[in-house]
Amino acid sequence: MNDPRSVTAVPAVTLRGVTKRFPGVVANADVDLEIHAGEVHALLGENGAGKSTLSNIVTGLYRPDEGSLELHGEPVDLRSPRDALQRGVGMVHQHFRLVEPFTVAENIALGDQRDRRLVPDRAALERKVAALADQFGLSVDPRARIWQLSVGEQQRVEILKALYRDARILILDEPTAVLTPQEARALFETLRAMAADGRTIVFISHKLHEVLAVSDRITVLRGGRVVATVATASATPEGLASLMVGREVETGRRQERTNPLTNVVLKAYNLCAEGDRGLPALNGVSLEVRGGEIVGVAGVAGNGQRELAEALTGMRGLTAGQVSVSGVQLRAGDPRDAIARGLAHVPEDRLGTGVAPSLSIASNTVLKAYRDPEISAGPFLRRNRIMRRASELIARYSVSAPGPETRARDLSGGNLQKVVIGREFAGAPSALVVASPTRGLDVGAIENVHELLRAAAARGVAVLMISEDLDEILALADRVLVMYEGTIVGERDGEGADVDELGMLMAGGAPR
Amino acid sequence: MRIERRSSTPRWLQVAVPVGSVAVAFVVSAVVLLATGHNPLHAYRRLFEAAFTDPGALSSTLTAATPLCFTGLAAAVAFRVGLFNIGAEGQLYMGAIAAAGVALALAGQGVVLQIGAMIVAGAVAGAAWALIPGFLRAFANTNEIITSLMLNYVAALFLNYLIFDTLSYWRDTSSPGAEQFPQGKPLPDAASWPTFGLGTSLVIPFGLLVAVVLACAVSVLYGRTRFGFEAAVIGDSPRAARYAGMRTRRNILLVMGLSGLLAGIGGASQDGDFRHLLDPRGLAQPGYGYTGIVVAALARYNPFAVLLVAILIGGLSNAGYALQGADFPSGLVGVMQGIILFCALGGELLVRYRVRLGRSGAVEAAPAA
Amino acid sequence: MNNSLLVLIASSAIVYGTPLLYAALGELLAERSGVLNLGVEGMMLVGAAMGFFVVQRLAGPGPLALGAAIVVAALAGAAIASIHAFLVITLRASQIVSGLAITIFAGAAGLSSYLANDLNLAESPARHVFGPILPQSLQDLPVVGPLIFAQTALVYASWVLTAAVAFYLARTRPGLELRAVGEAPGAADAVGINVTAYRYAHTLVGGALAGVGGACFSLSITPQWLDGLTGGAGWIAIALVIFAFWPADLCLVGAYVFGAFSALPFILQARGVTVAPELFQALPYLMTVVVLVAVSTGAVKRHLGAPASLGQPYVREER
Repeated sequence: MNDPRSVTAVPAVTLRGVTKRFPGVVANADVDLEIHAGEVHALLGENGAGKSTLSNIVTGLYRPDEGSLELHGEPVDLRSPRDALQRGVGMVHQHFRLVEPFTVAENIALGDQRDRRLVPDRAALERKVAALADQFGLSVDPRARIWQLSVGEQQRVEILKALYRDARILILDEPTAVLTPQEARALFETLRAMAADGRTIVFISHKLHEVLAVSDRITVLRGGRVVATVATASATPEGLASLMVGREVETGRRQERTNPLTNVVLKAYNLCAEGDRGLPALNGVSLEVRGGEIVGVAGVAGNGQRELAEALTGMRGLTAGQVSVSGVQLRAGDPRDAIARGLAHVPEDRLGTGVAPSLSIASNTVLKAYRDPEISAGPFLRRNRIMRRASELIARYSVSAPGPETRARDLSGGNLQKVVIGREFAGAPSALVVASPTRGLDVGAIENVHELLRAAAARGVAVLMISEDLDEILALADRVLVMYEGTIVGERDGEGADVDELGMLMAGGAPR
Repeated sequence: MRIERRSSTPRWLQVAVPVGSVAVAFVVSAVVLLATGHNPLHAYRRLFEAAFTDPGALSSTLTAATPLCFTGLAAAVAFRVGLFNIGAEGQLYMGAIAAAGVALALAGQGVVLQIGAMIVAGAVAGAAWALIPGFLRAFANTNEIITSLMLNYVAALFLNYLIFDTLSYWRDTSSPGAEQFPQGKPLPDAASWPTFGLGTSLVIPFGLLVAVVLACAVSVLYGRTRFGFEAAVIGDSPRAARYAGMRTRRNILLVMGLSGLLAGIGGASQDGDFRHLLDPRGLAQPGYGYTGIVVAALARYNPFAVLLVAILIGGLSNAGYALQGADFPSGLVGVMQGIILFCALGGELLVRYRVRLGRSGAVEAAPAA
Repeated sequence: MNNSLLVLIASSAIVYGTPLLYAALGELLAERSGVLNLGVEGMMLVGAAMGFFVVQRLAGPGPLALGAAIVVAALAGAAIASIHAFLVITLRASQIVSGLAITIFAGAAGLSSYLANDLNLAESPARHVFGPILPQSLQDLPVVGPLIFAQTALVYASWVLTAAVAFYLARTRPGLELRAVGEAPGAADAVGINVTAYRYAHTLVGGALAGVGGACFSLSITPQWLDGLTGGAGWIAIALVIFAFWPADLCLVGAYVFGAFSALPFILQARGVTVAPELFQALPYLMTVVVLVAVSTGAVKRHLGAPASLGQPYVREER
C-alpha cells in the first residue's frame, strides 16, 4: 500500500465547491476534495449520495453548476467526455458503455484521437490490444464480440479502454457489483499494481469491506456532501457506516426466524428456457420454497437470474419443465395465470417493468387488480375505489409523494419500490418472487424493503429472493441457492454460510 | 442551452403549445409566401374568407372537416397507444367501397335501414382492412407503419380498378356515355344522409353528428373502461403490460380494429353525405387519411380536440381547394399543414422538457416530486 | 435475344430500381446513425422538382445542365432533411411524426406541387434527359448489352455509390464510429464521438440521396413533371432498407427486385397482355408487406438487424 504521506506535491484531482443540481434534487453540494497522485482513493456513500454524479463531472459527462475542477494542478473546464479523455481521465462505468455487436478491439480503439486514419489496420490493432491486456494481466480475446463475453470480461474491456488511452486517472464506479468475491480480489490486486505504477485510482462503492480492503484513503459522501476524508488504516467499519448514514446502523444483521414453515408453496421442476438471443439461459433449474421461508438465489449477474424470475412468473416461456404454486401447475408463458394463482412478482427493473412510468400511482396500484370486481364494474373502472386503494397504499407504506395522481416516474427509487411491493402484497399472495429488491436504494430504503420481506415471510408467504448482492442474501435468506450458467450448482444454509465457498460456486468452481 | 425533463406539465402549456404552433406556422408560411413572390396578408385574408365567411363557406368547411374528424379520431386512438396506423387513407377507401356496395344492394329499402347498413358496412370494411397490419403486428411483430401504408396503395389501386377497369357492380353502365367516361353508379336516394340546417345558410351533415357521438364514445372508452386502461399501459410500457398479465396482442387488434372502424365510417360518410356514388378520384385527391394524422397530432390525441382541429384544418383545406387557380399557389395547403405540424413537434419539446440557457445561474427550485 | 422478356424485365428492373437504390442508401446511412427518416417520399419529390427546374432553365450543354440538376436535387433533398434533423435531433421530437410531417409538407400536395406550380414545371417535357452514355456497339452485345452497357450515368453512379457505402460502413474508421453512434450512442459519447454531428451529417446525406433518387424520375424515367410522380417509391425505399437487413449490398439486390415488379405492368402491357394494370401495380406494395413479415418473424437478432438506438433521441444528461 502506498504511504499516504509520501505523495507528490500536486494532487491529481482537486474539486472546490462543486455543486450539481438536477430537477428536484441537488446531487452534489459544495464538494471539496483532493485526490493524491498514485493513491487508491475510495468514494464511499450509500446509493443516491452523489458518488456517480461526482465522477461523471470529473470525466466530463456532466458540467458542474458551481465550483471548479483541477487536474494535476491545472484548472480545467471539461465540456465533454472527449476533453476528459484527452487529459488522461478514464472511467469504468457501472453500466458499461460498450457497443455490443463490435469486437473487443473495435470497442477499445473506438474514438481514439491519436489514430485518425481512414482505414484502420485491424490486425495491428488486435495485436496492440493483446499486448496491453497481457501487460496488465487482464486476459481477453481481442477478436471476441462483446455480446459473447461474460460480464467480468466485459469489465476488463472497459478497463482496457481507459488504459489504451494512457489514462493516468482511472475511476471505477461500483466495479465489483458484477464480480464474484474471488474476481473482486483479483481486481483489487490489479488496481494496486496500477497505483504502484503511478496512476491514480478512484474507487466508488457503497460496500464497506471492499473499500477497506483496497484503498489508501476514503472520502465519505452523504446527501451530496463530503462528510469526512479518512486514512483507511485508521478507519473502522462501524465508524464508516455511521458516517455514511449519519446515525447508528445495524447493517445486514441476521434475524432469527421464529415462524414455522408450512408446505411447499412454490415449486419449480427442471426449468429450461431460452434467453433473448435464442441461446439457452436456464438449463434445468429445480427448486422449492415453503411458506414462511426466504430462499435466496445468489450468483453473478448474467447467469440466468433474470430469465429465472421471468420463467417462474410466466413472463418467459419454457422449453421444458414446469412451475407450480400450491400444488397447481402454472401455464408456461402466461403471467395472468401466475397472478391468478397467487404468485406475486417484484421485478428487478422496477421502472421499466414493474410500473407504467408515465401513469399515476393510482393507475399502477391497480395494474394487476383492475379486473377484480371491486375495482371494475363490468367494462367500467371504479375511479373512486382506485383512488381509495392508492391512498391506502401510500399511507400504509409511508410513500413520500404529493398524492395518488403523482406519476410513477417522478418517485424516488425507494418510494417506487414501496409502491410495487405494496401493490404485490395487496393481492395477498401465497408466493413472492423478488429480484434485486434493493438495487440502487439508500440504506433507509434498503432497511424498509428487508423489513417488508421479513414480514411477508412471517405471514407465511413463500419468498424467493434473487439477488446479486451476496450481503443481502446472507442477511435474509434461510437457505441459499447458487446459480451458475443457468443451473443451481449448490445449496447451503443461510445461517453460517461460508462466503468464500459461495464465491467459488458462483464462479463455477467445484462444490465441496 | 440545457434540456431537463419536466416532472409535470402545467395544464395551460398543453393548450398553449398547439395554439402557439399554429400562430408560429402562420408566420413562417408568410415568410415562405413572401419569398416566392406572393402577398401573405392577401392570401390569408382570402383563405379566411373562403373558409368561414364567404356565403356557404362555413358549410363547405364542415364538409371538408367531416372526413377529417373520422380520420383524425382514427389516428388519435391508435397513435396515443403507440400504434402508428398510417393506413386510415386506405381504410377510408375500403369503407367507402363497402358502404356504396351495400347501398346499391339495398336499393328500395327505407332510409333508416340504408344509412344504418352503410355505417355498419363502412365500419366493418375499415376495421378489416386495419386488422391486416394489426394481425401482422400482433402475431408477426411486423412494423405497422410500413404495412398499413402499403395497404393504402393497394386499396387505392383496388378502388381505381372497380371504377376504371372493370364493369363492376359499382360502375355506372346506364348510358352509352358512361362507357366512355367511367363513373360510379349513383346511390339510391334513400342512401343520402340527411342534413340539418342551422340558421339561414349553415348546413350540418349527418356524418358530422356521427363523428361527435363517436368522439364521445372514444373519450369514455379510453378514459373510463378497462380496455382504455389496458391501452394506456400498453402504450406506455409494453413490458409492464405483459408483466401485469394483459393480453397485449388482443389489445393491439382491438385498437387497430377501432381505428380502421372509424376511418371506414368516414368512407361511408363520404358516400352518404357528399358524393352519392363511389368516386375514386374525389376520395383520393384530398388525402383525408394523411391529413387526419396532422389533425390528431395537433389535437394531442384528445378526441374532442380532434373535432375542433378538424374544423380548423378542414377550413384551410376547403379554402385552399376553393381558391385553386392561377393566382393562388397550389400546394400551399400541404405546405402550411406541414409547417403547423413542425411547429407542433417543436413545441412538444417545451411540453416535455424545460429548456435552460447558459451554464449556471439562479436555478429556481424544481417542484417537489 | 435482347428483346426477350427476361432481358427486358432485368434491364427495366435496373432502371426502375435505381431511384429506389439511391433513396435506400440514403435512408440506410440515416438509420445507421439512429435516425429514422420517414420523409423520404417528400425529399424525393422536392429533389425531382428542383432538378427538373434546373434542366428547364439552365442554358448550356446537356451534360452540364444535367450535372447541375443532380447537384441541385441533392441540395434540395438535404435542405428538407435539415428540417427533420433539427426537429428530431436538437428538439428531440418524435421521429415518426416528424417524418410524416415532412411527407405532408413536401409531398404531392405540398411543397413539391407548390414549386412545380410556381416554376411552371408542367408546361413542357424535360429539355435534357439522362440517356445511355456508352457507344451503341457495346449496347448491342447480347444480354450484357442492354443490362450493363446501355444504362445511364445515374445507374453507373449508383453502382459506385453502393460499393462506396459498403466500404465506408465496413472498413473505415468513420464508418465504425457511425455504427457505434447508431448502436450505442452512450458508448460513442463516452469516448468522445460527437453523436449529434454524426446524426446531422448522415440525415442530411440521406436527404441528398433521396433528392437524387427523385431526380431519377423527373430526368430519366418519366422526363416530364407530374405531381407525385414518385408514386410511393420513397416508402418502398424505407421498406427496402429493412428488407436488406441494413447492409448496403443487399440494398442493391432488393432495389432491383422491387424495380422489376414496378416495371412488369408496363412491359406486359407493351406485349399486349391484357391483365388489369392495377393488379401488377399493386405487386410491389404487396411484396413489401410479405417481405417485411418474413423478415420480422425470422430470427433477426439484434446484431443482425436494426441499430439499437433507431428512433430514440439521445440526451446526455437524462437521468
